[in-house]
Amino acid sequence: MDVIITISLLAILVLYLGLFKAAKALLPVTLVGLLVALGLTFNHWDLANNTKSIFSGMLLFNNFSVAFSALAIISTFLILMLSKDYFERISANVAEYYTIILFALTGIIIIASYHNLSMLFIGIEIMSVSLYILTGIKKRDYASNEAALKYFLMGAFSTGFLLFGITLLYGASGSFDLTEIRNYVASSEEISPIFYAGILLSIIGLCFKAGAAPFHFWTPDVYEGAPTLITAFMSTVVKTAVFAAFLRLFYISLSSVTLQEFWVPVLVVLASLSLLIGNITAVYQQHFKRMLAYSSISHVGYLLFALIALSSASDSAVFLYAAAYTIASIIAFAALMVVQKQVGNDSFDNFNGLGRKNPLLALTLTISMLSLAGIPLTAGFIGKFMMFTGALSTYHTALTVFAVLNAIVGVFYYLRVVVAMYFKDAERNELAVPVYFKIVLVVSTLATIIIGVYPGFIADLI
Amino acid sequence: MIDFVWLVPLFPLIGFLIIGLGRNILPKAVAGFIGSLTVLLSFAVSIAIFVQLESSAVKTHIVPLFDWIRAGNLLVPFSFQVDPLSALMLLIVTGIGFLIHVYSTGYMHHDAGFSKFFSYLNLFIFFMLLLVLGSNYIVMFIGWEGVGLCSYLLIGFWYTNSAYASAAKKAFIMNRIGDLGFLIGVFLIFATFGSLEFAQVFPQAANLAPNNPFLILITILLFIGATGKSAQIPLFTWLPDAMAGPTPVSALIHAATMVTAGIYMIARSNILFTLAPLTLEIVAIIGIATALLAATIAVTQTDIKKVLAYSTVSQLGYMFLALGVGAYTGAMFHVLTHAFFKALLFLGAGSVIHAMSNEQDMRAMGGLKKKLPITFITMLIGTIAISGIPPFSGFFSKDEILAHTYQHSKTLWVLGVIGAMFTAFYMFRMLFLTFYNKFRGTHEQEHHLHESPKSMTIPLIVLAALSVVGGFIGIPHILGGHHWLSQFLAPVFYQSSVRTGALTLDHQTEFLLMGVSVAGAVIAALIAFVKYSKNNHVPLADNVDRGTLARLSYHKYYIDEIYDFAISKPLNFLSGFFYRVVDKAAIDGVVQGLGRATTEASKGLRLLQSGNIGFYIFMMVAGIVALLLYGFYNI
Repeated sequence: MDVIITISLLAILVLYLGLFKAAKALLPVTLVGLLVALGLTFNHWDLANNTKSIFSGMLLFNNFSVAFSALAIISTFLILMLSKDYFERISANVAEYYTIILFALTGIIIIASYHNLSMLFIGIEIMSVSLYILTGIKKRDYASNEAALKYFLMGAFSTGFLLFGITLLYGASGSFDLTEIRNYVASSEEISPIFYAGILLSIIGLCFKAGAAPFHFWTPDVYEGAPTLITAFMSTVVKTAVFAAFLRLFYISLSSVTLQEFWVPVLVVLASLSLLIGNITAVYQQHFKRMLAYSSISHVGYLLFALIALSSASDSAVFLYAAAYTIASIIAFAALMVVQKQVGNDSFDNFNGLGRKNPLLALTLTISMLSLAGIPLTAGFIGKFMMFTGALSTYHTALTVFAVLNAIVGVFYYLRVVVAMYFKDAERNELAVPVYFKIVLVVSTLATIIIGVYPGFIADLI
Repeated sequence: MIDFVWLVPLFPLIGFLIIGLGRNILPKAVAGFIGSLTVLLSFAVSIAIFVQLESSAVKTHIVPLFDWIRAGNLLVPFSFQVDPLSALMLLIVTGIGFLIHVYSTGYMHHDAGFSKFFSYLNLFIFFMLLLVLGSNYIVMFIGWEGVGLCSYLLIGFWYTNSAYASAAKKAFIMNRIGDLGFLIGVFLIFATFGSLEFAQVFPQAANLAPNNPFLILITILLFIGATGKSAQIPLFTWLPDAMAGPTPVSALIHAATMVTAGIYMIARSNILFTLAPLTLEIVAIIGIATALLAATIAVTQTDIKKVLAYSTVSQLGYMFLALGVGAYTGAMFHVLTHAFFKALLFLGAGSVIHAMSNEQDMRAMGGLKKKLPITFITMLIGTIAISGIPPFSGFFSKDEILAHTYQHSKTLWVLGVIGAMFTAFYMFRMLFLTFYNKFRGTHEQEHHLHESPKSMTIPLIVLAALSVVGGFIGIPHILGGHHWLSQFLAPVFYQSSVRTGALTLDHQTEFLLMGVSVAGAVIAALIAFVKYSKNNHVPLADNVDRGTLARLSYHKYYIDEIYDFAISKPLNFLSGFFYRVVDKAAIDGVVQGLGRATTEASKGLRLLQSGNIGFYIFMMVAGIVALLLYGFYNI
């Protein structure tokens, strides 16, 4: 709880700093504040894992929510480190920028620790509304405006479904509380059809927020139109949070065998579609950022595996996969920002010859791509490995084979940028990589390799 | 000290790393010093281990380092086994290895790749030590492959000469064929016994009845591995070509240590072979056949190193003969004495080549006795030793092998004695052609003739001394000794000796056998003396027509050509077919077709992303409707 308060107060403090033109203090204050919040998060860490819910069952801080909150805060921290000198270039309202990101983070932490569906909805709305604004924050940029409008329209549309789903669940069970809903499922002889409809509508709402096919249409356009930093935030922290919410709802309330027989096939279809559309479409993309957008759809497909093979191991699988995906994406977006800043656009050709001119950047980007593709000794491999093991242990053999084939397609487009960097030559100057970027790149790369070599220390966290 | 046995391979490994990494910075003197020192340290530790083992009541010590592979029911610890057999091999490898390192500091002094040479040499010692120390077939296999790699690197050391590079490849590929047999044998051992640890496999095997089909198959496969590494028919042709490497390499790897790995491996697995008499019979026949084939080739060769190479193949044949007739101790005894005198002969040949400004053809030598006195005397000792003339070391080991062979089969014994006569003949032929009569080389070569530096002659002297006295560790009872080596190795071969029994020849027969083989060797030496020293015969030039037999021998029975025609050509043809038709057309077609199909699919799917928000929402709603319909029918 103190985390939510801290970050909210931090956001307001940053807003005031902006008011008093203390532009230089914005980033340091934000970063320090996030560190404090991170420390407070671990207050709730409990080895016995038997934390009670608070505020009349509205929120529940257990190890699960601590882990996901910490991941969200650390990712935000890294992304904000990439923002030095970035906001000033694209917008005059720097303080608002930081503030809104912090508000989004508040929503995310609520999402990671809700125990009541009304809190889920509030969290998602706090996050979404912040994101609508962030997407369109380049006020004079048409692409940014268009992306914001599209995101808002479709987001509003899907939020309706989520809310309707929650309502139906409430209508059948008589409660918003996750435990109460589980009790309803366990105690009632025949579950009301309204409840099933509620499940379907919640799936739709959450899948939209996560960007699963066929509710993914907003992602490529919005990711491309939004400022790159915001894209990084959306495709990593936001996705992770939505999956935390997904997992919590389904694991606590909807995991009975009869219910699983109902919703698992739905998720199998959505996961397959996401894999197919994400991977296949990414193949033909000529721009790095758009490739990342499509590839993020496919990663949603992999993440859905943890729900399809729902068990007590699902939370660490999602956590590990999300962590791997997040840090690898942060490297990719950081590299993208460096290239974009210098060259102005992000077609694959602009990465030609980077291996010779910027060996560090090229190396870290290569490791990030290998991790996203799921090559052994990187975190991404461990993530995929856990997902596939789970799916196989619940006998989803066909789905796993399909996913492996898709992973092969993934290797193709991820390695394209590596090929461009190392095997294609181009006349180019060395790109200037700011110190902050170097720190983020190196830290994330090390984390990718450490998790890849020794996954135990993070997988056993939850 | 036994618990610190890991120090033995560690020193050369450290040496390899230091010299290998610092090869461009370290001065030659430092690289040579480090290279030799590390092996000397290993030798010192080996002596300490040997002494401790000798006095210890327990003869087999397993020293575990760490669990290396743990998968299912497969557990492969990385551990070392110290017992009389490995302790003996440790001494041979590090002792002779050290002498050859010292020799190399002189021999390679002018070579640009000096440091590289020493790093490879140290790496070789490391792998060879793994091979003999491993307590299971996997660690042994690492060493087995590692020495093969080092052999490849060192044969092709002067890789700018394409013939040398081909020789290196030939050695590697021939070894791979054998390695495949070895590897399958190891798999089969695991499948049969559920373990790869010597300490678990052998006791289980000892409980099996003889002629178990699995045992026969395993031992044949292991023997195939041995024919590759130890240059036996049909995989022996790489060893003569391996002489392309620097001469110290020939002495260390292709005479004293690596090529005896096959013998070591069979001696190590002796119980498996004892229980598979069929395989032993094959081993004996292949052994004697190789011994005779190589010996008859050696009598007409003119390259001093080629003579020694075929001689090595031939002597290895004797060792396999010994294994085949169940004389495991005799085989290891010959490994030991052969290591002394063959290393000596190679190093002596190296000294000659060094003096002759890299001339290796004996037709251009002659009369070197005066110019290279130390080299001459030591090589004379080596020649007497290998010819089996008492009391030099070769006599004792060869006599033991022949005595066991006689007991096993009289025919094999006759062939063995004939081979021994050939040995004496070609060795003395080499000696006379090189050191006697007049110098036949160019004037310039004559001007440069000089005795080698101390770093080279001292190892020669030490090895000569060992070649003289080395046999005394195995004096048979009949000559008043009590065969110390046999007693020392007895625990290793206990299970086998229980089954095969001891030598049962009476004293008279034994004396007779000795007399025959010594007389044969002396006669052969005399013939060589008459022909090459007294009558001053010089082998014909390459292009002169020879008699049929001599031509066959001179051209090595055309075995390389036969292999080329019967195996390489058809394989190349098949490979070309697979490349053009199967790979290029079929597989590449399918793979690229899949790639193109994916790209086309991507082009199509991409159009879904039209940018039109109405269309997006339409698609979403279609999805929602589909889901709701699903729900409607599935509640």
